[in-house]
Amino acid sequence: MDIITVKNLTKQYEAYHRGQDAKSVFKSLFHREKSIITSVEDLSFSVGKGEIIGILGPNGAGKSTTIKMLTGVLYPTSGEINVLGYNPHKQKNQYVKQIGVLFGQKSQLIWDIPPLDSFYMNKEIYDIPTNDFRTRLDRFVSMFEIGDIITKPTRTLSLGERMKCEFIMAMLHSPPVVFLDEPTIGLDVIAKQRIREFIKQMNQEGTTFILTTHDLEDVERLVQRVLIIHQGKKVYDDKFSELRLHLGAKKMVRLSAATTIGDIDLPGTLISERISDYEVELEIDTDQCKMGEFLHILSEKVEILDISIKEIQIEKIISSIYEMDIG
Amino acid sequence: MKRMYQIYKTCMKANIASAITYRVNFILNSLIMLIGNVLFPLVTVFIYNSNASFEGWTFKEALLIQSVFILSTACAGIFFNGIMWNTMSHVVEGTLEVVLIKPTSSLFLLLARSFEFESIGLLGGGVVMFVYALSGIDGMTIGSWFLFLLLFGAGLLVMFGVALIVAAISFKWVANSRLPEMFESIKSFGRYPGTIFPKAVVAVSSFLFPVSMIAYFPASTLIGRWEAYFFIAIIPCALFAAFGIWLYTYMLRSYKSAGG
Repeated sequence: MDIITVKNLTKQYEAYHRGQDAKSVFKSLFHREKSIITSVEDLSFSVGKGEIIGILGPNGAGKSTTIKMLTGVLYPTSGEINVLGYNPHKQKNQYVKQIGVLFGQKSQLIWDIPPLDSFYMNKEIYDIPTNDFRTRLDRFVSMFEIGDIITKPTRTLSLGERMKCEFIMAMLHSPPVVFLDEPTIGLDVIAKQRIREFIKQMNQEGTTFILTTHDLEDVERLVQRVLIIHQGKKVYDDKFSELRLHLGAKKMVRLSAATTIGDIDLPGTLISERISDYEVELEIDTDQCKMGEFLHILSEKVEILDISIKEIQIEKIISSIYEMDIG
Repeated sequence: MKRMYQIYKTCMKANIASAITYRVNFILNSLIMLIGNVLFPLVTVFIYNSNASFEGWTFKEALLIQSVFILSTACAGIFFNGIMWNTMSHVVEGTLEVVLIKPTSSLFLLLARSFEFESIGLLGGGVVMFVYALSGIDGMTIGSWFLFLLLFGAGLLVMFGVALIVAAISFKWVANSRLPEMFESIKSFGRYPGTIFPKAVVAVSSFLFPVSMIAYFPASTLIGRWEAYFFIAIIPCALFAAFGIWLYTYMLRSYKSAGG
């Protein structure tokens, strides 16, 4: 059952710009050139209950703008949004009680006082019953193992510790839908792992997550479905497991040879990186050239010292999608 | 209503805790605010000590007006002036989203988060000066105290309206921190007995930009020296506040439609 439905969502806004020379700067005091920017264009998608979907895209693609419209922070220029039966900007106060939001680069914690004080403030704002609040708080603090830091001023905490507290802020009122805008940005490997485990745990208990991220490990480890936005438009919307197959069955081959490796003229084969005269990285489209056939022909052309075969990296697939704009 | 009270109380406690976290900064700010605002009553002392005066007003009556001005300024500082800086800071840094996602009026939440404990020193100074000024004046009755509170409240409405208007303008004219200074200059007319000004200034400061309501009208009413037009001037004060609320709400909507 879909709990989020987005239809033909568009967001446009005015932007001012000027030239770099002194004349342009002075002229901008009286008149500024204005242009209309379309940050999201005719976007449609839906999210089912209990899904974790990842919204990907290059910088400026419209990911955060989409999240802001879904959370009611921005008004769409046109289109419809329905989340849990609510229109985010027409029924704001009732709607935001049902959602949790975490902005990776914007803090909900009060800088000078301990996170615990901020949690109590959220308790009043969301009108959380005291027993429920204490039970949830104790549980989340235990899951993140941050019992000893929530009474220290926020400004003394590390980024990872602060982010764990931000998650608690977003989840204290037990929202069925949580929006995460770059939740692991700037975190170390251990902190990221903890946060991913937390998201998985909450998802198993029924919480739906929509996250935007540039960290493709977040995508590989967490999301079930991927929505790719490029220049404000949807270019891919399908299961993560289908992503690799979407551009054909490609493999990456790293080859070391005893002799100079020249051009390899085989269908479906591309030298993606020439590391040295004796070592290359190749991209093989196994739909066009079976691996066995490739290895047989290669061994006739060069004396192979070492070879490794891997799945094509997710970064390459997504870069290709950005470049090819496959719908 | 009870929920709003609880939210306000929690935000107030958090703000006090924030202020007290930096103890030296808190003490210094309180002292500086107090010293900065008691300088002009000192000028009044010097004026009267040199046998000059505000015509028709004794030293303590003039001091009473200025103490009410300090009390008004302190109350405004404690309860709502902070919304100007809070809003400007959120707009400049692009962090207003963290307020907009909360299930309560954004204006109310920003006001609650704008409670500034540092003005408590100024409030204390104002109370001391007020009590001292009153000690040499007759003419107060229960009725005049009631009317004083009514007009004092109306004066706070003016400052509330101006704070909201300045905060609202910062959505459009980002990082315009000089606007509050402009208002402070206009507000300074309210420190003095209105009878020393030309009629045109009296009219403007009573009905168009009612800064006389901040101190002169309430203080005069308390000691029985009120005029009927003092109470007519409540209307523009209420309109100022209403316009400020409307403008702030409108600009908040513009922020949401403009992409932040």
